[in-house]
Amino acid sequence: MPVDTNTFFQNYFSSFRNYDEVLKSDMSINPNWEKLLQNLSKMGSENLLAKQKEVDWLMEENGVTYNVYNDPNGMHRSWGLNIVPFVIYENEWESTIERGLKQRAELLNLVLKDIYGKRELIANGIIPQEVIFAHRGFLRQCDQIEYATSKNLLVYSADLARGPDGRMWVVTDRTQAPSGMGYALENRYALNRVLPNIFEGINVKQPSQFFNEFNQMLLDAAPKNKSNPNIVILTPGPLNETYFEHAYLASFLGYPLVMGNDLVVRHGKLWMKTLKELKQVDVVLRRVDDVFMDPLELREDSYLGVAGLLEVVRNQEVTIVNPIGSGIIDNSGLIPFMNAICNYFLNEDLILPQIASWWCGQIVERNYVINNLKDLVVKRIDRSNRENIFFCEFLDDEALNKLKNEILLAPYQFVAQEKISFSTAPNFVNGTLEPRKVMCRTFAIAKKDGYSIMPGGLVRVASERETLFVFNQRGGISKDFWVVSDQFQNHIQNYAWGNTSNYKVSDMNDLPSNTAENLFWSGRYLGRALVTARYFRMVLNRMNQQQYHNAKSESESLILLYKSITNLTSTFPGFVGKGSKTRLKDPLKEITALIMDDDRIGSLAQTLSSFNNSYYSLRSLWSKDMWRVFDGIKRQWEKFEDKGDYSVTELSKLLDRIITRLIAFMGLIEDSILVHQGLLLYFIGLQTEQTMMNIAKCRSLLVINYEEHLQYEILESLLTSHESLNIYRYSYRSYLSLENVIKLIILDKDYGKSLSYQIRRIQKDVDKLPISEGAAVISKCKEKIALAHTKMQNLTIENLLELNEDATIRQNLDDVLAEVSELLHETSMAISDTYFNHSYMQKQLSNQNFPLS
Amino acid sequence: MLYQVSHTTSYDYEDGVSFCHNIATIKPKDILGQTLVDYRLDIHPAPTEFSERTDFFGNTITRFSIQEHHKKLQVIAFSKILRDYTQAPNIFESASGQKITLNEALTALKNQKPDILDVRQFILKSILIAEFNSEIRDYAEVSFKPQRPIFEAANELMQRIFNDFEFNPNVTNVATPIYEVMAKKKGVCQDFAQIAIACIRSIGLPARYVSGYIETLPPPGKEKLVGVDASHAWFSMYIPTFGWVDFDPTNNQIPKNQHIIVAYGRDYYDVPPVKGVIYSSGQNKMKVEVDIRAAV
Repeated sequence: MPVDTNTFFQNYFSSFRNYDEVLKSDMSINPNWEKLLQNLSKMGSENLLAKQKEVDWLMEENGVTYNVYNDPNGMHRSWGLNIVPFVIYENEWESTIERGLKQRAELLNLVLKDIYGKRELIANGIIPQEVIFAHRGFLRQCDQIEYATSKNLLVYSADLARGPDGRMWVVTDRTQAPSGMGYALENRYALNRVLPNIFEGINVKQPSQFFNEFNQMLLDAAPKNKSNPNIVILTPGPLNETYFEHAYLASFLGYPLVMGNDLVVRHGKLWMKTLKELKQVDVVLRRVDDVFMDPLELREDSYLGVAGLLEVVRNQEVTIVNPIGSGIIDNSGLIPFMNAICNYFLNEDLILPQIASWWCGQIVERNYVINNLKDLVVKRIDRSNRENIFFCEFLDDEALNKLKNEILLAPYQFVAQEKISFSTAPNFVNGTLEPRKVMCRTFAIAKKDGYSIMPGGLVRVASERETLFVFNQRGGISKDFWVVSDQFQNHIQNYAWGNTSNYKVSDMNDLPSNTAENLFWSGRYLGRALVTARYFRMVLNRMNQQQYHNAKSESESLILLYKSITNLTSTFPGFVGKGSKTRLKDPLKEITALIMDDDRIGSLAQTLSSFNNSYYSLRSLWSKDMWRVFDGIKRQWEKFEDKGDYSVTELSKLLDRIITRLIAFMGLIEDSILVHQGLLLYFIGLQTEQTMMNIAKCRSLLVINYEEHLQYEILESLLTSHESLNIYRYSYRSYLSLENVIKLIILDKDYGKSLSYQIRRIQKDVDKLPISEGAAVISKCKEKIALAHTKMQNLTIENLLELNEDATIRQNLDDVLAEVSELLHETSMAISDTYFNHSYMQKQLSNQNFPLS
Repeated sequence: MLYQVSHTTSYDYEDGVSFCHNIATIKPKDILGQTLVDYRLDIHPAPTEFSERTDFFGNTITRFSIQEHHKKLQVIAFSKILRDYTQAPNIFESASGQKITLNEALTALKNQKPDILDVRQFILKSILIAEFNSEIRDYAEVSFKPQRPIFEAANELMQRIFNDFEFNPNVTNVATPIYEVMAKKKGVCQDFAQIAIACIRSIGLPARYVSGYIETLPPPGKEKLVGVDASHAWFSMYIPTFGWVDFDPTNNQIPKNQHIIVAYGRDYYDVPPVKGVIYSSGQNKMKVEVDIRAAV
């Protein structure tokens, strides 16, 4: 079938001429792309539009995000995948790209070894000393460290682009903690799922084997404990731009995702703090940059690493992938010398070409750069972010002069490169194909005797048609990267482990304490959100009824309910303290604030946003369904805010929707996380919070003695917010009486929502917590919750109903509820102290806040 | 001259510390002109881990960690040092070293020989001397001229810093950037050393930071009090064909026997006497006492 170029390539070349991957200047089509374009044609423009939408939706649903720093709207920005993949044929891939990458990985490995070892390259004049010594990534602390691994450089990534000569060029080397593998994998899965037809008749190489080798590399990296090494993935945390990928790889590879404060150095080894004890770590796959890895020896203000880690590395008690200090290879100053280095070590030329580059530390080169500045792209050797790349053709005279002076003041810090126009590839935009600049990120993994290359990788696309450069740190659009073969290829598998993995499913004792803490707080915030939302909904419904009835007792009971809101949410003064009279005149205003205002401590919005934070920290544990439901909550919320109708009915509808989703979400949590993964901590948090909230409700509604009619309305409200009205009717079939209500929601030993039952349940869960190393035999939290339980068992209805002398309040009821609430609070504190991290606040001995960056 | 030195660093922690990791760069050097006769490091409470190694710049650094709860940390370094500066090459006895001009020096530094390569790293920017702005360069160029001997120029630079800057311990701390020190013209010994280093590097010559002690002498007829001495810092410039020459801008003198050398680095960042990471929630107070006297 011929390709319908008319539909797809309308305007493809209209305003932008460049070297293109698909379309040659005579409008003929690169045969390597023909089959793909046929498949796309078959689907038709309309269908493709729908598919692109589906991909966008899937990415959002799966929570594939890319955070952008310093951008208020940049958090959790959705990852963009264009449905048109990028294609390279097997023969080009194998004959040059793969070979070239293997050569370059090996070369950089040798450079890394030499720089921190003998420094022959400098001694023999192959590279100038300043290229290394003036680079911020040259960490003197890492000098002469020896590693037990077969290679020093274990993961390597290179950005490639096709130059005007038709060859793929190396644009940038990435060696500290290269990102993108996880995104590449997710891109492949997404395309497979949404557009299986697009693969028809095309044999695309799959990365399964590569990830297998990646896992094997991690296992082999362990310096000791080879038979069952403990591997962790170290992330800077949920605010990091590629946090999605950290969590994704952790759950894909099955290793715990940890942060710096989960780890600690003691007795010359690296340990992970788990609920039960310290557990030795053998391999750290890190996504934290070099200088942040050890606040003792490197950047003092870092909270992302582990104090004392470098010494553990020196003693070969742990392997860091890549080794700390490998950032010296992210060095554009090396580019002009790479071919000489290649000849020095391997006695051959580079296979992959690089951009012509001039290091300004040499006089001849410097003069050339200064004289031709306008035509060059200038970089600092140790910074590859956008702010430190100067596209001189766009600079005015003033900026050019400033740059010239900077170069002359410290010439060795600068490299200038020829400006190159790289190739474009088709991108599907609004129903047609558009040429866009592309950049291909490729990945290499060390094996015993060489490097293994991921077939394909991650392709990034320039954000606009006219944009000349593709930036890596800014999110944007990506493509699936196909290496196409003539041979049949197996379908991609979800999990491709062979028998090589020794990974043992661990039990709750091994749960990182940070994860445990986040689960505990997730439970508490969810519990609070649900109870608060239900309570607000009940009050709003009452308000709605009152508009029609206007009975005196109802308005009296409403005022009591408003006041109880303030008590329940601890949002004083609110409806009880100073200014309450004014607020009671327009209660909806205060209630709206308590629902919507996320700056207001105690509000529903604020509780949900706190939950949001613990939730993101745990994302490697959550299932895709949970993402979907959670996202639904956020979208309901945003939709509501956009609409801006804060009427009683609308607010109560919003709460309906939020409550349903919260409940669905809670069901999914219980469904998808195992108890030994920390579900127990979540339960304890959830139950504790709900119980404390229930106590607060009872204290503000049941303690004061009201006249009968008012009493009735209060009891009905309480049971409604407690979701117990039906159960009450079923159990007592009677008029609402205080005695029966207390029996049901406080004393009943079999009713799941009664205080007595809830406390018993918390006690059972707390008793299951591991005995923490070094803690007393009976830990404090177990003691406190047992006390609360005993207290509950000794209660009698007569005692609780007893009124004080002037018959205004039930003092006994209030006292006992207060005591139990306090015991729950103490239990929660004791759990924190025993199992979480608070006792380990890292600080500098003397504050030495150096400007290291 | 035989000295005995005790250098005590104490920390009082308000809330106690559950454990800590520390690094001390505190052991005096054993080099030509300075013999380390005796050395002992006492740490209270006793450290769980303790090791020594040589760092990138050839200094001895001591690493230790204390893994029990403690409210006070004390690190005391005792040493006995035989100091005889006449054993080391003396610039005043080297006519050629005193004569080499800036132009000659810059040419000599282009050499690729290993010893020149080794000193060339001290021309580059470093962590605390990260910027040579034009102000620093201008200040340096008052003394450094193409045809003028660099020894003479450095001597004058030392003198000018001594005259232009006010010694004032309340203005700066270890994190104060040098351009701020330059603007305020106030600071302590490490600021003056770093200003000089920045100046010398800005014109393309190698300069390094020296951390050590200086013996202070009591007023005539009085007995010397215990603990009046202090950690000290000065700078050193490399003169091609001769070698490193030390200058003390705080005291306007070329160090002799009263200066005891502990460590060399690019700047203070490379050689802080004691640093560490503690795990604690409260505040801490630090106290340093140095006592240098003739050994008996």
